[in-house]
Amino acid sequence: MNASQLAAVDLVVAFLATAAWIGAAVMLGTGRLLLARALCALAVTVSLGRVATTVALAAEGWWFAQEKVTLTLPLLLAGGVTAAVLAGPRVFGGARPAAGRAVAGLLTAGYAAAAGLVFPLLIGYPATWSAALLTVTLVGAATLITWRAAGLAGTGGVARAGTALVALAAVVGAGLAFVPGDTVDSGGVPSRLAASRARPVSALRGPTEPAGGGTVRRYELTARQATVTLASGRTVAAWTYNGQVPGPALTATEGDLIEVTLRNQDIDRGVTLHWHGYDVPNAEDGAPGVTQDAVLPGQEHVYRFLANQVGTYWYHTHQVSDRGVRLGLYGTLVVAPRGAASTGLDLAIPVHTFAGEVAFGTHDRADVRETRPGTSVRLRLINTDSTPRRFTLAGTPYRLVAVDGNDLNRPGELSRTGLRLPAGGRYDLAFTMPDGPVALLAGDDLMTGLRLSPDGSAPAVENTANWPELELTRYGSPASGEFGPDSRFDRHFTMVLDRGVRLSGGPKYAHTINGRAYPATPTQIVRADDLVRVTVVNRGFETHPWHLHGHRVLVLTKDGRAPAGSPLLLDTFDVRPGEVWEVGFRATNPGLWMNHCHNLSHADLGMALHLTYEGVSSSFHDGHS
Amino acid sequence: MRMAYVVLTRLVGVAILVQFYFAAVGAFDRPQEDDSYSLHSINGMVVIPVLVLLATATAALLRAPGKLIGLTVAPLGLVVVQVLIIVLGNAVSGGADGDTTPAGLAILALHAVNGLVTMAVAGMAARRARELSKRPTAEVAPA
Repeated sequence: MNASQLAAVDLVVAFLATAAWIGAAVMLGTGRLLLARALCALAVTVSLGRVATTVALAAEGWWFAQEKVTLTLPLLLAGGVTAAVLAGPRVFGGARPAAGRAVAGLLTAGYAAAAGLVFPLLIGYPATWSAALLTVTLVGAATLITWRAAGLAGTGGVARAGTALVALAAVVGAGLAFVPGDTVDSGGVPSRLAASRARPVSALRGPTEPAGGGTVRRYELTARQATVTLASGRTVAAWTYNGQVPGPALTATEGDLIEVTLRNQDIDRGVTLHWHGYDVPNAEDGAPGVTQDAVLPGQEHVYRFLANQVGTYWYHTHQVSDRGVRLGLYGTLVVAPRGAASTGLDLAIPVHTFAGEVAFGTHDRADVRETRPGTSVRLRLINTDSTPRRFTLAGTPYRLVAVDGNDLNRPGELSRTGLRLPAGGRYDLAFTMPDGPVALLAGDDLMTGLRLSPDGSAPAVENTANWPELELTRYGSPASGEFGPDSRFDRHFTMVLDRGVRLSGGPKYAHTINGRAYPATPTQIVRADDLVRVTVVNRGFETHPWHLHGHRVLVLTKDGRAPAGSPLLLDTFDVRPGEVWEVGFRATNPGLWMNHCHNLSHADLGMALHLTYEGVSSSFHDGHS
Repeated sequence: MRMAYVVLTRLVGVAILVQFYFAAVGAFDRPQEDDSYSLHSINGMVVIPVLVLLATATAALLRAPGKLIGLTVAPLGLVVVQVLIIVLGNAVSGGADGDTTPAGLAILALHAVNGLVTMAVAGMAARRARELSKRPTAEVAPA
């Protein structure tokens, strides 16, 4: 059982404990002593069960158990002891103290047990002093009211002391809630932002000349609303670059200078171009409010950067990105190696969901292509949605030769395997066209996808739903690199991802990083040339595809184990519920960068922060990423 | 105080009714986003619990019968069950992002049934609260 399933079990156990304590109180109050006795025994048992689930969670990592160890279990213990003292003699002994007293004791335990259920759902990681004191306040207040109703509170000093303590917890807890948190996180090393001598982000532009042997690739993209027609004839109201979805396919050869002029015709909230996975100079990154102002209707912006990374990438708007990308503001960017002429069939396939229906490019029904046997085929899969997507390739063995644009080391042959592609990620699949047909499916759906067939007829396709999923960290062969899990890192950032209600910036059920939601998240600070380690922990129940702008990260460990296969250099990695990933990067691209969840609706609900280099400052303000 | 109790229990009922409306807002919003259910989330996880707690505290201060206090706070327990249904259903399906499994869906769909139960219980509490308020004052010791 992984940490996420353990956390779910813990919630169920906490629910049972709450229900059993309160149920016992109700049974006792209504004079059903035997039932009360049974429920008390159940309550004690499941309460002890919470100790077991907490220990198991702590073994998966302190983050998974923090609020249970520091807050909800001690509360439960206190509640249980109270119940034992007040109700024990009445329920199990021959004693006959007032029933009201015993009922109040059992209810107290019920309130304490409820905290263990409600806190992780409503507040999430971590239990801060403020949140803990306010929780104690609520449980304490409920207890006092109950005791008063039961006539227990009339005992002078004890009641006054209890009321005073609860009031104190309330005041201190509420006061602490207004203490502003850290605005920076320097990764365990003292750091300062030299604001006076800071270089502005706008100075970190790309070059204006191509590298030796390269040419200038000029593109003009105009963002506008349009109705696009998919292959099936279905029309979709879309936000487009140049009236088409996906936007124009940008291509270049290694060493070229890519120059893109972006204009906005009628997207009222503005647009930008972000080069996903491309480590461009900071001012070319297209993060509104961070590296530029959003391009509003009638305005334009020019992006320039060197095509110095070979492989499969994509571009998309970063302004109101959840809605913008969903509605079609994206396209492909493929850079070919210099001097290696592409032969055979080379397809970049952005897979996107339009109003609930999956399309490969614009093909929302199976796209059949006649392909001669012996043709060398490369399929570049791009997941432009906000959730992961499963792909299967039937009819031929193949290799997964590149992930996120980066070649894998000695990738082995695959067949009858499912590939799970994170949101924003890319997989390059390579094979030689066999004599029979080949089918590429998304989500094992037989109605959509790509078919390559020697005679151009639509082939029958087998059901791929039961094919096991490839574990990427065990695929390919290890190779030594500049650094690894055992290297000495200059900085270490930890991001624990969870959910909780947050009030800053409008009340929302936020996606949080270390308990904070953007824009209240602290900025991570690095110094140029630092070797940086980042730990990402998913305490929630949803997948978080993590994406740092301007840098590719090397996977150091996943759930504590170093990859046994090829080194994995990624720009988007899926941290699934209960998983812990450690990644590393060398800070060689100065600037102010977004660091966020690429489920863009999660980013909208707070799961984003900034990473800045010492000595860099931004002068842009009005963006909405 | 008794008037406040009646009003609060009614407000709980209204908030639950609004909660159904917000659920429909989420269901019919296009394009479908996580944001679609943000009103539903906040109303369900903040507004309704706060109203229920206030109503319950009022009932306790009024020295209402234990049964009625229990009935007043019951919607809160059912709201927690609502959240638990989502968490469990997703966990059984293997995560909130992937396709649902039949078992996961079977659990998730209970969200609608439990929502109706919550509404019924809140309605019952509001009715009893009103009955209580109509009794002669002597029967209810004001706090």
